[in-house]
Amino acid sequence: MKNHLLLATVLMLVATSSFGQKFFTKSGKIDFDATSPASPEKIEGVNRTATCVVDTKTGAIQFAVLMKGFAFERALMEEHFNENYVESHKFPKAEFKGSIINNETINYAKDGTYSVTVKGKLTIHGETKEVETPGKLTVQGGKINANASFSILLSDYKVSIPGLVADKVSKTAKLIISCSLEPLKS
Amino acid sequence: MKRKKIILYVLLSVLVIGGAVGIYIYKEYNRAHKDTAGLKPDFTVAANDLLKEFESNEQASNKKYWDMVLSVEGMVKDVTRDDRGFYSVILGDTTSLSSVRCSIDSIHGSEAASVKRGHIVSVKGICSGYNADDMLGSDIILVRSVIGQ
Repeated sequence: MKNHLLLATVLMLVATSSFGQKFFTKSGKIDFDATSPASPEKIEGVNRTATCVVDTKTGAIQFAVLMKGFAFERALMEEHFNENYVESHKFPKAEFKGSIINNETINYAKDGTYSVTVKGKLTIHGETKEVETPGKLTVQGGKINANASFSILLSDYKVSIPGLVADKVSKTAKLIISCSLEPLKS
Repeated sequence: MKRKKIILYVLLSVLVIGGAVGIYIYKEYNRAHKDTAGLKPDFTVAANDLLKEFESNEQASNKKYWDMVLSVEGMVKDVTRDDRGFYSVILGDTTSLSSVRCSIDSIHGSEAASVKRGHIVSVKGICSGYNADDMLGSDIILVRSVIGQ
């Protein structure tokens, strides 16, 4: 009986300490913008099905997104993005694995907006590069909103732009991340 | 005289061909996305069977289903609406973390509004792939989806 009580107490402690430690979403939003000053129109796509998980204890942060899930206003632009640029049939997924390097400065138990710096490895088009970006975490009512915006050099990820449209498409792409994370109950 | 005629024909041909190319480029450039409602499904499958297939062999399943039009029937685990009014319908077994997540095409959003948890529905959409995740549960993503097809 004593052993059972002890086991129950240990299990409860483990459950309590792990509750709310990880936060996640499966409907994160990522905006992609490769509009250049010479572009005749905006070259923008949006993906609303990004998976993101944050471990508040360690500061580890991960993203996964399916490239085919980026929606563009024009059908032709979307086809070019998938077939010619990111080759999503060959490289269906983009991933980020990194950490919040100033995680200790965030009080996840207290509502507020915290400035963060995220650093890690970003894989797009089968190429992995180190990226670092400032961002904001807003803790509110037991949930976390994560926002960041940064630019990547398309050539770093071996995304080549055909000469014919080289001046119409920016050499860098701006990525705007916006996620509303909920506690993982497990 | 003959030479003049040839030049005229050449000029006319150039004009006709140029015009046709111009119209083609204009139409291609402005081509709208196809409404999934009007597309014939390449595969009709139950949500749980599709999940099992991807779980057992992700690579082969991706090859088979990626970019295909799927009609997936399953139980609605959840219906979500984001801050901009975009709906997602999540199909699958409530005892499992894995799901078929269907992003509803904005022009068909109103149809998703009437879908409730526990309903059995068919959703037709374009398969954009599989996100394997041991901790959060794995997902098959359908985009440009429509309900009840």
